[in-house]
Amino acid sequence: MPISTFIGIDSGSEVLQAVVNGVINGSAYGLLAVGFALILSVTGRFHFAYALTYALAAFLAAVLERVYGLPLLPAAAAGLAAAALVGVACDVVVYRPLAERAGSGAMLTIFVASLGILIAGENALSLAWGPGPRNLTGIGSHSISVGGATFTTLDIVSVVLSAALCVVLWLVLIRSGFGREIKAVRANAEMSTAIGIDVRRVHGSVFVIGSLLGGVAALLYGLKYAASPDMGEDAVFYALVVTFLAVSSSSPLRLFAAGVGVGLVERVAGLWLSPQLSTGVVFVLLLAFLSHRSLQLALGGRSLSFTVSRRVRALRGAAS
Amino acid sequence: MTYWIDVLNQALIFGVFALSLNLLMGFAGQVSIAHAAFGAIGGYLAGYLAQEHGWAFGPALAVGVAGAFVFGLLVSLPALRLAGEYLILLTLAVQIITLVVITSISALGGLQGLAALPGISLFGKVLLTPQDFLKLLVPILLAVFFLMRRVAGSPAGRVLRGIREDELATQSLGKDVFAYKSQVFALTAGLAGLGGVLLVYYNGVVAPGMFGFGVSMTIIVMVIVGGSANLYGTLVGTALVVASGPFFQKAIKLSTDKSSLAQLLAYGVALVAVLRWRPQGILPEAATPGALLRRVRPRTGAPAAERAERAIPLAARRRGGTPELALEATGLTKVFGGIRAVAGLDLRLERGQITGLIGPNGAGKTTVFNLLTGALKPDRGTVLLGGRDITGLPPNRIARAGMVRSFQDVRTFARLSVLENVMMGVAGQRGERMSVVLTPMPLGPGERRTRARALEWLDFVGLADRADEPAGSLAFGEQKLVALARVLATDAEVLLLDEPASGVDKRWSDHMIDHIARLPDAGLTVCIVEHNLSVVERLAHKICFMHEGSVTAEGTMAELSRQERLQEAYFGSMV
Repeated sequence: MPISTFIGIDSGSEVLQAVVNGVINGSAYGLLAVGFALILSVTGRFHFAYALTYALAAFLAAVLERVYGLPLLPAAAAGLAAAALVGVACDVVVYRPLAERAGSGAMLTIFVASLGILIAGENALSLAWGPGPRNLTGIGSHSISVGGATFTTLDIVSVVLSAALCVVLWLVLIRSGFGREIKAVRANAEMSTAIGIDVRRVHGSVFVIGSLLGGVAALLYGLKYAASPDMGEDAVFYALVVTFLAVSSSSPLRLFAAGVGVGLVERVAGLWLSPQLSTGVVFVLLLAFLSHRSLQLALGGRSLSFTVSRRVRALRGAAS
Repeated sequence: MTYWIDVLNQALIFGVFALSLNLLMGFAGQVSIAHAAFGAIGGYLAGYLAQEHGWAFGPALAVGVAGAFVFGLLVSLPALRLAGEYLILLTLAVQIITLVVITSISALGGLQGLAALPGISLFGKVLLTPQDFLKLLVPILLAVFFLMRRVAGSPAGRVLRGIREDELATQSLGKDVFAYKSQVFALTAGLAGLGGVLLVYYNGVVAPGMFGFGVSMTIIVMVIVGGSANLYGTLVGTALVVASGPFFQKAIKLSTDKSSLAQLLAYGVALVAVLRWRPQGILPEAATPGALLRRVRPRTGAPAAERAERAIPLAARRRGGTPELALEATGLTKVFGGIRAVAGLDLRLERGQITGLIGPNGAGKTTVFNLLTGALKPDRGTVLLGGRDITGLPPNRIARAGMVRSFQDVRTFARLSVLENVMMGVAGQRGERMSVVLTPMPLGPGERRTRARALEWLDFVGLADRADEPAGSLAFGEQKLVALARVLATDAEVLLLDEPASGVDKRWSDHMIDHIARLPDAGLTVCIVEHNLSVVERLAHKICFMHEGSVTAEGTMAELSRQERLQEAYFGSMV
């Protein structure tokens, strides 16, 4: 009996296909997480309405293209601009006043408000143009087959573009003065104000950058599948999972890698599980992470492995 | 007519969800986005047992509620120590995983669910029309409402609100915060399960869409719009949200699919608008019938003029035969990363004396308090309280053992009244545990006793006339007095006061010093950390000087200031 049958896999190419799909999806998760994590780590806002700016970019572009006959590029640009605008508006109109009023307890309030923005926005889009999915077209794509795994030229563009954007953001953060300002605000907003950094401007730019990155991911998704008003919900869940697995303040490269990792886990799990359940695996991962964190806090801030190894050593010491 | 009774029935069912979520989110301050998922556990359990195994309504309901209760308890375990974004994430993950798992179980009908549920037969009569259901649902909603009101209005409810305001401060007053959190999680999950069972039976089907993420959000809207921590508000919020359906269908005459979109749009806008412009919701926390009555007949506090020389409301508690050392810490050590914040510290507090702990910034004084009271676990060393080893116990148990602390940054419960802040400290209250849900004992007499006790202490610190104001509205100095009264109300014999007089203007700090100076008369043992040396000199019988994590000298102020080394380290500017 070949080993592949033994572990429940039909062929090697099936595995390869899973890995390829994992990387393709994972790079999208990575890009999403980079945008979300930037906003969370710099502004401290739990911007769940990231799902709205995401959907807005692709859905508006699709509407402009299909209903108003715009070519893809201007339609996509308009979608991205709308996403950035709404992202900044969320902060200026809703989050910032809430943060100024509620102080340290603002995280939960902002999250709930963000949920409200998402519900309102999604349904406003559905009311305006119908809730159904709309195709984005305008990029020719044909499929390529390598070693039994099939993917499209669009997939290659997606992976390369996602990775490139993350690298660009990474470079901006470590090289430019603007990047240093962002990092300063992330480390300590109050001190940043003291040394003359305009924190509000940095927050605004972070919302713009984050919304644009998410918007690009949405456009790529829309080109591959379709765009709908509620497409952002799944997306933001993935962004959350990746962000928290990789720690929100880590570098875009690490977040991107974590995204690819999550994509791979999901697809490889899909070899054995139904698509439904393999999505669940990702959240089980998150649950495990959170439980571990909780346990860590219970042990007084020490890491679990450290505590366990200490216990083991103590036992050995007692035995000898 | 039937249409409107159907709407009412839906409101009654969602009322069960929303009332229980308000106890969790509004009172205890624990955000949960998994409330619909708990409903799903109850609804699916009952639906499956009824359809596939022919169970009757009663047992199916009981199992559904119990299942959701147990599930809530399990979820609460990792949730206990998580706060803020992590708790949000955890409940979000639970919401999603629950539905993913349910829809992937073929026995539960996958994405379609189960659609051949038997009806409810009660007393030989099968419930068919909305009118029939009304007779079942009204008593259930009333029961849930009064259950929630009982918890919220009990000493246990006060502890839950304390947890919402400040977990550590609540724990430091001797409350087992983690037990409360998991119990309230389980209780409200069980009630969400009840809502789920009712929803399933009412619709005659159970399907994943009935318990999705959107449903969780809708329940949150009901709570926030109606008013967090106000159960009457939740009834209003639920009614408004449920009635918005007919409003869009009948009054604006939108088509069915458009009206449901418009309805959701309105929920979202309402949620944002309420948080932005009226965060307390339609009915604020304090707007209860009881509070309105009190406004008509205001409580009379003690007149402010007579506060000068109050007796300490405390029986002299110096007992014969107890050791003279109230507290003895030996070799306490705490290392953060590579830094030894506290290094082999020895500290002895003599009974009925005030000991001052002084030292330069960063000497580790507050860390010592954290180690003594269990907020941090020492890496090495022992703490004996009245001869009993309390090393490594959690703060609530140390507080119950007789040692409580105040905080440098006050940590009053801002949205609780001054009186409630102090009542929270009073030890041994009846109905303080969550089991208050199960027992029918009257709470009035115990509450009156607790209130009287708390008022005595407020009187002692001279704030009895401010009793009904929210603590957060007081000046910082006044809040420090509230915090002192709160600590005193615990009847603990050892008090650790962290900078009781700093950041307070002279008038209040004089008050404060007078009060503290009188505590040893009642047999209390006090240790204060204070930067203002004149305060320490006036109060302390003995002063311990801390430097780089250990006590390097002790004695009276006069003795200490003669030592050259100390002068350099600390008194430098005075020489």
